[in-house]
Amino acid sequence: MRASFVFSEVITGLRRNITMTVAMILTTAISLGLLGGGLLVVRMIDKMQLVYSDKVQVVVSLTDDISANDKSCSSALCTKLLHDLQGAANVEGVTFENRDHTFERFKQLFAANPELVKLTRPESLPASLQVKLVDSSKSDALVKAFSNQPGVKNVNDQNAFLQKIFSALGQFRFIVFGIAVAVAVAAVLLIFNTIQLSAFTRRTEVGIMRLVGATRWYTQLPFLIEAVVAGIIGSLLGIILLAVLKVTLFDQVLGGLASSSVLPRLDMLDVVAISPVLVLVAAVISAITGYVTLRLYVRL
Amino acid sequence: MIRLEHVTKVYKTSTRPALDNVSVEMGKGEFVFLIGPSGSGKSTFLRLLLREEVPSKGRVYVSNFDVAKMARRRVPRLRQSIGCVFQDFRLLATKTVAENVAFALEVIGKPRHTIVKVVPEVLQLVGLDGKADRMPNELSGGEQQRVAIARAFVNRPLVLLADEPTGNLDPDTSQDIMLLLERINRTGTTVLMATHDHSIVDSMRRRVVELDHGKVIRDDARGVYGVGR
Repeated sequence: MRASFVFSEVITGLRRNITMTVAMILTTAISLGLLGGGLLVVRMIDKMQLVYSDKVQVVVSLTDDISANDKSCSSALCTKLLHDLQGAANVEGVTFENRDHTFERFKQLFAANPELVKLTRPESLPASLQVKLVDSSKSDALVKAFSNQPGVKNVNDQNAFLQKIFSALGQFRFIVFGIAVAVAVAAVLLIFNTIQLSAFTRRTEVGIMRLVGATRWYTQLPFLIEAVVAGIIGSLLGIILLAVLKVTLFDQVLGGLASSSVLPRLDMLDVVAISPVLVLVAAVISAITGYVTLRLYVRL
Repeated sequence: MIRLEHVTKVYKTSTRPALDNVSVEMGKGEFVFLIGPSGSGKSTFLRLLLREEVPSKGRVYVSNFDVAKMARRRVPRLRQSIGCVFQDFRLLATKTVAENVAFALEVIGKPRHTIVKVVPEVLQLVGLDGKADRMPNELSGGEQQRVAIARAFVNRPLVLLADEPTGNLDPDTSQDIMLLLERINRTGTTVLMATHDHSIVDSMRRRVVELDHGKVIRDDARGVYGVGR
């Protein structure tokens, strides 16, 4: 097989159907950009799970009575709760935080919001028992068991809140993937058409190739490479699109949340990490589409 | 070199067979005219040899190839040993004379140094030396057909199939093309030419196989086109 021959055929083919080629490249780029966006959301969820998994706790807030009078969890009620929690299944450790500590932490947390800190009295914050779980996803039993115990004001499961964020992100990812699939279908149809057109405009060449005994691969390879080259160019454009979106949209809009470490930061490294996947997806899909088109619709 | 045994070909779209129990044999180095009116089965005959079609019944042999039975992936091998020339030349308008001829070798993976060597040789053989860099549209019909013959012959096929090669040419030019085909025939290549051209068949005095309604109705060793036609 002579590479120079195949290469020149590919260039001619791409140039000859330039409008179709551009359409094919652009739809591929958009589709893969969206796919990449979805993959980035997945990465973000993974990172969040990593960041939060050792922070998530179940907070057992104590009644006002205990909060006001017991600074070191020495009352009978508080000691019993502490012991019961320590003895419960799935519990790794329990720490007591009295009202003063809670207020200190509150002040730190909202240092950027002095108005709020000024308005808040320590009396409005409860003392609490902070329970660290072995497996934070199995917090239900504990929450149920301690919700109505004497001395307990309420039980706050941070995991439940986190799950809400994850499910929102999951839905967002689902929508992005959905659009990506729709655009991918359009891209596939365009590849399909472009190859047929390409084969039609080159029917004389192909006819001669057949007659002089060129092998199937020799006649088909230029068409296949044409599709794959367009697919790869499309995926590279998609990656650039993604990088631009990351800088302009993600960093601008969600940058604040990321810097206050509510959301994990997305680096360029994340974009780089998913790039090979996108290029590979583009190459494989365009190759398969090309091959099927040639097999079914083009007599070579 | 070419052998058909009881070959029948029925196309799906037609009830009447295009070829009807045809048996014929052509030896190595023979020059054979295949004649008959339109629709008599000449094209089907040629297409069967190239395995563009498979026979409905019977067997087809070209050289050592059992054409009807051979595996699909071996078909390129068969076609590499057959050269083809058509009425409409079928040249690539975007390539020069030399590139058109070289194309036939490039696409079967011949190395560059071979191509550089044999293309000028074959252009000289067909009388086109000096016109290697012309484009097809700068040539006369006869010259274009010479390019097509050069392309068909450049890989030194065992068999040359010519489907009405003089159909678009004036009588003088046709005569030149026939001389060229004769010269190729003298190198030992079997030439099978389908034609309607009375004067050529009559002047050449070669073997004539006549088809009518898919049957061989005449096979003369030194024939003419037809009596009373």
